[in-house]
Amino acid sequence: MPDSGVFEYLAAGLRGAVSRTNALPNCAFCVLVFGLSATLSYPRGSPRSCSHIATSGAVPAVPRDYFSQYITIGIFVLVGLGLVGVTLQLARLVRPNVPTREKYTTYESGIDPIGRGWTQTNVRYYIFALLFVIFDVEAVFLFPWAIVFERLGTQAFIEMLIFIAILAFALLYAIRKKMLEWL
Amino acid sequence: MPVSFFLVLSALLFSIGIYGVLARQHAVLVLLSIELMLNAVNINLVAFSAMLQEAGLGGQVFALFVIAVAAAEVGVGLAIVILIYRNRQSVDLDELDLMKW
Amino acid sequence: MDLAQAIAQPSVDWHALSPDIVLAAAACMVLIADLFLPEESKWLAMPLSAAGILGTLAAVVSLAGEHRTTLGGAVEIDTFALVFKGLFCVIGLIVLAMSFGYFRSGRYYQGEYYFLMLCSLLGGVVISSARELVTLFIALELISIPAIIMTALRKADVKSNEAALKFFLFSVLSTAVMLYGMSLVYGITGSTKLDEIRSSIASSADEPLVVLSVIFVVIGFAFKISAVPFHFWAPDTYEGAPSPVAAFLSTASKIGGFVGLLVLMFRAFPEVADTWRPAFAVLATLTMTVGNLIALRQQHIIRLLAYSGIAQSGYVLVTLALIDPSRPEANAQALESAIVYLVIYGIMDLGAFAAAVAFARKTGTYFLSDYAGLWRRSPVLATLMAGFLLSLAGTPPMAGAWAKLFVFAAAINSEVYWLAAVMGVNAVIAAWYYLAVVKRMFLDSPEVDEPIEVPYLLRATMGVAAFALLAVFIYPAFITSLADRSLL
Repeated sequence: MPDSGVFEYLAAGLRGAVSRTNALPNCAFCVLVFGLSATLSYPRGSPRSCSHIATSGAVPAVPRDYFSQYITIGIFVLVGLGLVGVTLQLARLVRPNVPTREKYTTYESGIDPIGRGWTQTNVRYYIFALLFVIFDVEAVFLFPWAIVFERLGTQAFIEMLIFIAILAFALLYAIRKKMLEWL
Repeated sequence: MPVSFFLVLSALLFSIGIYGVLARQHAVLVLLSIELMLNAVNINLVAFSAMLQEAGLGGQVFALFVIAVAAAEVGVGLAIVILIYRNRQSVDLDELDLMKW
Repeated sequence: MDLAQAIAQPSVDWHALSPDIVLAAAACMVLIADLFLPEESKWLAMPLSAAGILGTLAAVVSLAGEHRTTLGGAVEIDTFALVFKGLFCVIGLIVLAMSFGYFRSGRYYQGEYYFLMLCSLLGGVVISSARELVTLFIALELISIPAIIMTALRKADVKSNEAALKFFLFSVLSTAVMLYGMSLVYGITGSTKLDEIRSSIASSADEPLVVLSVIFVVIGFAFKISAVPFHFWAPDTYEGAPSPVAAFLSTASKIGGFVGLLVLMFRAFPEVADTWRPAFAVLATLTMTVGNLIALRQQHIIRLLAYSGIAQSGYVLVTLALIDPSRPEANAQALESAIVYLVIYGIMDLGAFAAAVAFARKTGTYFLSDYAGLWRRSPVLATLMAGFLLSLAGTPPMAGAWAKLFVFAAAINSEVYWLAAVMGVNAVIAAWYYLAVVKRMFLDSPEVDEPIEVPYLLRATMGVAAFALLAVFIYPAFITSLADRSLL
């Protein structure tokens, strides 16, 4: 745009500060983390109002031994990691070390890799992926309805039919626009 | 477990999301960061809903709607990102500077 | 609690929901019709949409004077809701008139456009009567997500893509921030219904968490209504989008955000007003001043209208800085002035956009320098444009004068004199750039003398809009009597 002057300098300065040093996001990040954490976990003395959130309020009790079971898993993880480390070090002590170029290739006794590790997926999959995501998420509304289906009766049934009909319109749209055909 | 554990977790997630939105240049990574923020909201809602059991299931229902809307947003967002990639062969947000002031 | 016990079948008042249902059905019909129409008659989607909106308007009128709540208090029909539902319908009709020629002549996806516009409008219609957090949130998203796609409708145009991506990122970011605030509000109060929030938030007024949550919600909305310093997306998006879409964004989308904000602030958070009122005063000052100062430098009519629109939202934000539940009279006046302002703003801003679209259709340019001598090329267009700009500037004989005056009076009445003074100064700055365009149209001599013809549909729409603004200036009770009765 033709406008120049003070505003462009300002804009350039701001953009520079943001993109080059990342100062703004960094500061914002620190401030947010500290601010939010402090406010949310600050223990409040007053018994009234919403102090229950930080102190007395609690998510329904988890059985106490629930966490002690994690200790077993932790021990197993530590022992497993230790075992790997110790055996590798032991092997290093006794094995000869004669590196050759062949030995350093990725698959020493396989086929030489050709091309790059990144392969492109056909972009057409993207349409299917998106359609899947959207219809999949709409199913979220069906589950609560299905659980209380008998209690709610006919009216809720008809309402859900309308909901599904609207989704069907979307599907019809996708079909008519040849979104579901592999060209 | 006190509910503030969950709140601090979600605050952390939310802050990481904001950091990503501000600092990342790749459009898809920015989208991912926004998803992080929305999921922080979901953690909040579900934790509060579990805490306030006597008050009904408002929080969980809210979370369902957040999930659905997030899916719609991702659909639109990715479509726009692909559109831009087709026209310019790049999705670096810093290069989107046709219009200023 | 067991899930089965928690979900109870709410009683549904279908009449109260009829405007929303009619519009939703119309949107579906447009989508289906578009699928089966041959390419050369796709334009039929426009009359179909217009019929749908007229049907919605009829449903709104059939509810006039009623006061109903349904869906367990999530939806409430009162005069406030009906005024805004009606306003959204009128905005929809005007935007349809602007879009018809624009989208028919270009190679656009016409059917999709009208479908998306109806969906976005449906969001506005829903938000007017939403009195619950989830409904508010869904309605807001229903406004913005189709609007994002409409912005990207020129698929091959890089500017349009860029505009859509900027709009998308800011919109989604604001949603996330607003939702975070809403989740905290839910945690503090244990409810998503605004009335219950109001009664239980009062007991925890000085908690830091309350302040935090309200501030998050306000920041989220500030993005949506493009208040400074959260306005960066707006001018770029308006410039890159097809111009009827820009008109839609700057009116329907913005008014939708304001309706949500008004409902939340007057209905859910008034008891803690002391904590957030200063924030609104600062936002309003910044929005008015920065918007007007940058608008002074613009050379592109859409960007001028974008920045002036930002400044105009500043005036509405002033009313939010006046909320004070301990003084019911001043409080009511603040709400009333906000409603009057939004209604008049919607009409006059759309009028100015329509004039810009009509001008660009024949000349293909949006630059202000090309408006020189418009009076000699098309007296009708020049007069109408001047009328809308005068109204935006807040000068007689157009309704915009009353809009500004009411907000000003509300500020004086609430004894917030400094804000009134800021507003006055800004009105003068704003008048400068609006009147500069008017002067250019009437006094400068044109570079080309080729006359400009305005399409009949557009001319009729603009004429009716300008006439309405004139009528409201002469007899403001048309609107004030409605605003009087719509208390939240």
